[in-house]
This record gives sequence, C-alpha cells and structure tokens, in this order.
Amino acid sequence: MTAIIEASGLTKRFGKVAAVDDVSFALEDGAIHGLLGRNGAGKTTLMQLLTGQDFATRGTARVFGESPVENAGVLSRICFIKESQAYPDNFKGKHVLKTAPWFFPRWDQDFADTLVEDFGAPLDRPMKKLSRGQRSAIGVIVGLASRAELTFFDEPYAGLDAVARRRFYDHLLADYAEHPRTIVLSTHLIDEAANLLQRVLVIDEGRLVIDADADDLRASATTLAGKATDVEAFAVGREVLDRSRLGGLASITVTGLNEQDRLAAASAGLEASAVSLQELIVRRTGGAEAGEGKVV
Amino acid sequence: MTATSTSPTMTVAPAAPTVTSRIWNVARMNMANPFLTLVMPWLITAAIFLLNLAIMLMVIRAAGGRENLDPTAFSYNGGISWILFFMTVVAVQTMNLTFRFALGFSVTRRDFYLGSALYFVMLSLIFGTGIAVLAGVERATGGWGIDAAFFAPDGLAEQPLIVLWALYVMALLMFLFLGALAATVWVRWKAYGLYGLIIGLAVLLVAAGWMITASDSWGAIGEYLTGSPILEVWAWTLPVTVSCAVAGALILRRATPQA
Repeated sequence: MTAIIEASGLTKRFGKVAAVDDVSFALEDGAIHGLLGRNGAGKTTLMQLLTGQDFATRGTARVFGESPVENAGVLSRICFIKESQAYPDNFKGKHVLKTAPWFFPRWDQDFADTLVEDFGAPLDRPMKKLSRGQRSAIGVIVGLASRAELTFFDEPYAGLDAVARRRFYDHLLADYAEHPRTIVLSTHLIDEAANLLQRVLVIDEGRLVIDADADDLRASATTLAGKATDVEAFAVGREVLDRSRLGGLASITVTGLNEQDRLAAASAGLEASAVSLQELIVRRTGGAEAGEGKVV
Repeated sequence: MTATSTSPTMTVAPAAPTVTSRIWNVARMNMANPFLTLVMPWLITAAIFLLNLAIMLMVIRAAGGRENLDPTAFSYNGGISWILFFMTVVAVQTMNLTFRFALGFSVTRRDFYLGSALYFVMLSLIFGTGIAVLAGVERATGGWGIDAAFFAPDGLAEQPLIVLWALYVMALLMFLFLGALAATVWVRWKAYGLYGLIIGLAVLLVAAGWMITASDSWGAIGEYLTGSPILEVWAWTLPVTVSCAVAGALILRRATPQA
C-alpha cells in the first residue's frame, strides 16, 4: 500500500489561534480512515488544507504525491463532503445531482438514483429550504455516488436520524467492498463508526494526539474491575488512564497489557474488558490530562 | 511497492478532464438552473415594457390621440437599464455562493474564475443580442405603433443596430465584472474589504476630478464625450471591465470558501 495523503508539519493559523498545529501523518490508500476529535478541534480545517480549499501557514500537504492547491489533476480525484457546504441560491437537489457528474469522473448515476430513493432525498425543493438532515442526505449521495478515489466525509450525517445513519454505513461498506477506494470519515459519533475504521487520527486543539491503527488502539487499553485492594495492587507501576471506585469495588483503565499481564490480572481475580474507541479518545482528549502539551 | 505503483484493488482513474472541458463545466454549472438568470430577466423586462406601454396608451387616450402629443413624448425611457443592475447581482451571487459550491465540487479557483468569466461573456452576448433584436422590432413597428422608444431610447435611437448591440454588450460586461470584483473582495476580505474598495474607488474618482479641474480640462472632456462617436466613447468601458476582471481573478486566487 502507498500513502495517498502525507502531511508534514501542517499548520494553519487564524490570527493567534492555531486551528491546525504542526500536524504530520500519512494515510494509506484503499482503506477507511477516521479523523476524530471534538467540535472545533480542527478536523474541518485539516480537511480543507488537504483539499486545497485553504492555504497552509506552514508545512506541506501531499495528496496523490502532489500539492492539492489549485491542482486540477489531484482535485478531480477527490470528493470532499462537508456539512457547511454552500449551494447556489437557486439550486435544488436535482441541480446538485445534475452538476455532480461533470466534476466527478467516476460518477455512477444508477447508484445515485438508488441512494436518492433510499434516503428519501427531496430533489425538487430549494437547497436553502431543506432541513439539516435533508441537506446531509444530498451530501452523502454525492459523496458515495462520486466514487472518488479519495473521499472526505466531514460530519456527513448531521441531522440524520439513526436509521438514515445506519443506511449510510451500510451503503458505504457495501459500495466500498465493490469499489475499493480511500475514505476519510470525520465524525464525533466515534462508536458508531469505530468498526469501519482502519486507521484513526485524533486531533485535539489543532494537534494530532493519536495516529494509530484502530485495532492497536483498541488493544492499547483495558479496563480491569475487581476488589479495590486487588485493583490498586495491580495498578502499581502502571500507566492508569482512568480509575473509579464504588465502595469496596474499583475499576481502572490501564495501557499496554501484554499476555502475561492479562494472566496475572485474571489470577488476581480482576475482570478485564475492552475499552471502546470512544471512551479511549474521550479520555485522551477531554479527560484529566487537559492542559498538557498544548500550544496556543 | 514504489511510490508510482498503484494498488491492484484500485481501478485506474479515468483520464483527468482537459482544461477546456473543466472551464466549460463551470460555465454550465452556472446555468444548471437556467430560470433565474436566463428566463426571468426576459419576464421582468416584458413586465416593465408592458407597463410602460400601458402608461403610454393611457397618456395617448387622455390626450385624445397620439397626434396631440409631442413626437418625442415617448422617446425618453431608462427602463431597460434595470438589467445592468440585475446582472451585477448575478455576478455577486456567482462569485460568492457558486464559488463556495464549486470548490466543494473539487474545482480549482482558476477554473472557476475562467468558467464564470465565460458565463458572464455568454450572458452579455445573449442579453445584448436579445435587446438589439427587440430594438430592431421597435424600429420596424414604428415604435410599437406609437413612436415609443424602450429598447433604444433617446441617445441611442439614431444608432445602427449593430452599434446598439455592441453598446449593450459592453455595458453588460462592465456591470458583470464590477459585480464580480466587489464580490471577490467580499469573499476574500469580507466587510472590511468592501469598505476599502468603496473608499478606494471614491479616492480614485475625487483624484480624477482634481486632476481634470487642475488641468482645466472639463470642457475638453465634455466636448469629447458629446462630440465623438458613441461607440468610441463607450469603448472606454473596456479597459475598466478588463481591469475589474483581472483584479477579480487575482483576488480570488487566494480566497477561501469560509462561511
């Protein structure tokens, strides 16, 4: 596999605020990746830098090996669906779908028609009159049917209900299986999307705080529960991400357990359970260590 | 694997669109919903024209016949100029909303600007031609039978149709690219940019006034404007239009589609 996206020292400042701060990573092609983080963490700005919509203050972004800025060759292979997408004043859904094939060379009209029906997207009403969910549906349809080699979905399902989101995931997976490509999915509904993701990037206050394989990340932390004394004894000398205590019982989340550690924990009467991706990320980005390593 | 190889599971990308097709795609993106910019202006023009006609007929009736009125009574009319301001708004919408939409559809700023400029030229030709044709009908029918001038009012009445056509096309181009310039300034620098643009234009105008006054050349300018062929005078809009177009392109080159 080759890197489809490479960012190196990528930085975008708006005045004194660094929306994206010295971010470096590489993403492989032919996979679904997650770009996760809290609202305002810099996810959208990062994707705008990667799609040439914004200009980096410092650092470089390479997509398909080239700078995406004003690069028609690169951009024609990219589709970027974002919640804040603007539409011409007089555009209805049908005009959006009419223009899309002119710009996305791999557009599949039959697939688009299926999606329109499946999401119940209203095509004959002005875009500006649609609800958030209806606008999202149109965006999702364009993002899927464009079949771009590299597709960014930035919070693609804002305003969509659980059923519609489920449909989005199903279509995404099914179509991805038939037409492999690279998808970067940005979302704060981490657990919903977690099992789709191969690599996970987490950004917090503009900085890349996690860049890991999703499986490695899940394996990187374990929650252990048991009698408080046993739990505390086990915790000695380990990195504890989280601990809680209820009467005589306690639970801790620790990092880096190997097979031996697991056996030791089991024999100490502790019950081990996997930590969800969402929990892990919440702890790393919003939890106790706040204030550490942040540059304004 | 080397950096140049592609993974076997990915199908090969279709050839990247050529620059001409990319620019044409932007032009037709602007016309994806043709009603507002290609149909509605004719409907509004028709409404304005018919209202004018109704008023003229009312006046004729009140006067007891066309012959009781001055022959030039219906020669002064600026109704058709509304279309210039409408086109300014069209250009503003294009450079603001359509720009943001186009970037979301993976269009480069350069392709967007060139495609939209092509669209503006097409609009100018379509409406310039349409108005010139209507002016021809106006003449052929003796001013709609009542010596009325709407599409070629006083000042333009004696001009050949081809000159009339060129004047309308030039005027439409200037208003479109003025609107485009103002909108690119807005997209790039928002309200402060517009303040700067307006103040800058005001400074230019006052400076020009000063220079003309200081060199005592108001008379010469007045003579030139009234004494020269109208086509030559209006051709002075072309450098203005081209300056606006170039400035708009340079400004948009670094603009971002922020809401």
